[in-house]
Amino acid sequence: MDSLTLLVFLPLLGALVVAFTPREAVALQRGITLATLLAVCFIGLQVCLDFDGSSAAYQHVVDIPWFALPSGGGSSVPVHFRLGIDGLSVLMIGLTALLGPIVMLSTWGHITTRVKEFMVWLLIMQSGMLGVFLALDLVLFYVFWEITLVPLYFMLGIWGGERRLYATIKFFLYTLAGSLVMMVGVILLIYQLKTADVAKLTEYASSLDSTRQTWIFWAFALAFLIKVPAMPFHTWLPDAHTEAPTSGSVILAGVLLKMGTYGLLRFCIAMFPAAAIQAAPIMMVLGAAGIVYGAFLAMAQFDVKRLVACSSVSHLGYVLMGLFAFTQAGLRGGVLQMVNHGLSTGLLFLLIGMIYERRHTRMLDQYGGIASVMPLFALFFTLAVLSSVGLPGLNGFVGEYLILLGSFQSQPWIAGVAVTGVIFGAIYLLMATRKLLYGPLVHAENKRLSDLNLREVGLMVPIVVLCFWIGFAPNTFLSRTDASIDALVKRMQETRVALAAGAHAPSTAALPTEPDRR
Amino acid sequence: MSPQLLQQLFTADALWALAPLIALCLGAMLVLLSDILPGTAGLRRPLFLLTIAAAAYGAVHGFGAPEGTYMMGSFHHSHALSAWTVIFLLSGLIAFEFGQRYYKEEARFLAEHDVLMLTSLAGMVMMAGAADLLAFFIGLETLSVPLYTLAGFRRARSDSVEAGLKYFMLGAFAAAMFLYGAALVYAATGTISIEDMSGMGSTLTEPLALAGFALIVGSLFFKISVFPFHLWVPDVYQGAPTPVTAFMATGTKAAGFAFLLTLMGQNLASGKPVLPESAAWIVGWIAVITMAAGNLGALVQTDLKRMLAYSGVAHAGTMLLAIAAGWHDTEPHGAQTALLFYMAAYVFTAGGAFGLLAWMESEGGEVTIESLKGLSARRPMLAAAMAVFMLSLGGIPPLGGFWGKYLVFSCAVRADMIPLAVIGVLMSVIALGYYLKVIVAMYMQPQTQSHSAGISPRLAAAVATGVCALVVVALGMLPSWVLERLG
Repeated sequence: MDSLTLLVFLPLLGALVVAFTPREAVALQRGITLATLLAVCFIGLQVCLDFDGSSAAYQHVVDIPWFALPSGGGSSVPVHFRLGIDGLSVLMIGLTALLGPIVMLSTWGHITTRVKEFMVWLLIMQSGMLGVFLALDLVLFYVFWEITLVPLYFMLGIWGGERRLYATIKFFLYTLAGSLVMMVGVILLIYQLKTADVAKLTEYASSLDSTRQTWIFWAFALAFLIKVPAMPFHTWLPDAHTEAPTSGSVILAGVLLKMGTYGLLRFCIAMFPAAAIQAAPIMMVLGAAGIVYGAFLAMAQFDVKRLVACSSVSHLGYVLMGLFAFTQAGLRGGVLQMVNHGLSTGLLFLLIGMIYERRHTRMLDQYGGIASVMPLFALFFTLAVLSSVGLPGLNGFVGEYLILLGSFQSQPWIAGVAVTGVIFGAIYLLMATRKLLYGPLVHAENKRLSDLNLREVGLMVPIVVLCFWIGFAPNTFLSRTDASIDALVKRMQETRVALAAGAHAPSTAALPTEPDRR
Repeated sequence: MSPQLLQQLFTADALWALAPLIALCLGAMLVLLSDILPGTAGLRRPLFLLTIAAAAYGAVHGFGAPEGTYMMGSFHHSHALSAWTVIFLLSGLIAFEFGQRYYKEEARFLAEHDVLMLTSLAGMVMMAGAADLLAFFIGLETLSVPLYTLAGFRRARSDSVEAGLKYFMLGAFAAAMFLYGAALVYAATGTISIEDMSGMGSTLTEPLALAGFALIVGSLFFKISVFPFHLWVPDVYQGAPTPVTAFMATGTKAAGFAFLLTLMGQNLASGKPVLPESAAWIVGWIAVITMAAGNLGALVQTDLKRMLAYSGVAHAGTMLLAIAAGWHDTEPHGAQTALLFYMAAYVFTAGGAFGLLAWMESEGGEVTIESLKGLSARRPMLAAAMAVFMLSLGGIPPLGGFWGKYLVFSCAVRADMIPLAVIGVLMSVIALGYYLKVIVAMYMQPQTQSHSAGISPRLAAAVATGVCALVVVALGMLPSWVLERLG
């Protein structure tokens, strides 16, 4: 079996095996899960290493016919099990594969009941997420997209905090609402173009009339914006993050939210460049608003986990802004920042989970001076915060810098507002660090806290290494995305020129009028 | 009737076309005999299964037989009819398996129960194959009268009797509506053959015909539980014995939709709808309102059976959207394909869910959200099956219900009814609100009530549950399985 199919089905196979183990055999379940995820991680990283960054074409393509959907006039559209990677997805595959075993290792501390079920969901989740990033058939993508809802729903609902039921149902329904509108978009697009192949759709979609393009663009964009989550749709995120178990938060922050930004990139921007150009100011404003608003939200939090959750809203605002700048710097920064946010926020959630397991509170005022009893924890936490804040030499800086650079080139005013977010970000994260780690050790309970153990340090080391690696040598990663991004930038420029030239052509003239419907 | 005429009527093709119907009627008589004759009581179950198998053989044979109209233009055989017949039979089979040890005091009348069910199945086949209004009416009554009895089958329980009576009263009303409508249509067109009507063009839009069709469609809406004729559903579904509810929710609904498709021309050789095109958006909005009524009603229920009853209303609304799209759908048999797939998934999903309910009920009384709490710890397999059914009803991939939903909304999109499609899909969000409540109770909340014996193992029900759940998953993973046979 080729490696991409293996990436999708190996976790499922693992889940099936775990499901048939006896309920009490916890060590066995953990062992199988870890082995599976390590294998997936290895295959995934291997695929990323083999990836030829100089080509914008889809690589490692797998193509198996699945079934045919009736599609008008007696014709039918074949739906394929089609997988492949290109420069837009390669980093996400690497990130997802890498975080798998790390998340698994982090569960040792906090998943102690119903271990078997958790492991099954974790494996299904991994399969679903890889599927989303690998799928090159629109219907297949949509199926994977919705599948990922279910495992997280269970993870949150069973192993979450006190308000877990509220959070999990809110998460599910919120994101489902977006997905279902996207489903209508998917149906319409496939019906119009008589194909479900993403490559062909990308090629033909711009031949649709521009009103229809705009409608489908927004049907997709709504689903992705909710998932990201962009500013007015973000309210599910703090709840979900706060109530999720550590591993759930890491998956959510590390990978799941990136499905939204990845979707915007792969489907909204690449398929509908004209509609995307028209929507860009709105999207960039949403991005900048998210950056600033998320920062203010984070500043007002007393719960450190909620604080980091709100910071996600802020950080993903950067990604949104960078992607819709359509400049090479902006897109590169956006793609890289997806990885960066996964690494640094993932790291923060892992650390918060570790201290929560020891102290059973996340309230900032219950801490202070932890650095003296938990020096290793303090070291990692500070590193994570600095990476998140964007200190030069660490990963966050590269991403944010590229994004802001790219945004200035296209929308200086919006980018100007967004820059303030960098300052606010530093303020709330450093303040939280101070309250948590430094100052006098006032609470007696905190004096007995034990420092991180070998497993905890070990699972974070790969992330920390990557943070430095991206900080010092981002080209290792960026070079793999360049060809695809260059192609995309070129396409956007051509579309922009065409739009400007055809200002009186029907493509833009049709825009203000409502589409005529029966 | 002269022998020549009989020979003309009962050709080999005609007999094969009617084979499922004949098998069901013969089977019903044999089961009835087994109840009367001494020493043959043990034959009841094998006879029932044999009847279903024989009818299924006839239906499968029909896939290869030529399409055509038989019995002086009253019965139309098509490949779609064969597919519908298979769905009816599955619905009956599932209800039968789950009903095996459901009844306590009434257990000695089980043969009557099975006879009524087989008769009702014959009615369904008749409805789906009817090519004229009278044949349909006979089918409708053959379906309904046994069902009234079945709904009130637990005669010692007042709610069951109430359900039977209520269903009967309203059913009689609907039947009268149909007859009146048929009379008006006959007055306007001078024919009862639907095939003949489809060629009449403007005659069909005369006020007399319009009034007639409105009455006919109204009575069908009653059978498939569509707004504003859905109000009987919660009470009747709740009061009826649960296996019968499963049968009503899947089989009856399928039969009603099959005839609606005939009226939409999708079962006929001409392929032209008899119903006026101007109704498209009205039916579309009725579909959406039905979804809203069903989903909002289900949202506030705590009794699982009642919740599933309302959810059945919502599903009828979803399916009606495919009918509404039928006039402008660019795919000639789009609604037929979509509804057949939808129903194929729904038979297993709703049949499985109601059946599971029947199984749990016969041990511990009413199944409420409260009594489901902590089920995953007590009975992990049962809870998993129920979760599969709930997610499939909610249309989450990769389960069968998802593709049904996808195909139905594809019809609406092809017919350019995009606003309805968008509102319709968003109704699924409300629907998930209550389907998730069930999963939350089973998986995420600790047990609150003490459960004495729990649920005793029962082979027939366990196998039926397992098969239903597996088929729901298989339909989701490999929709080609069914789709290819429909195309």
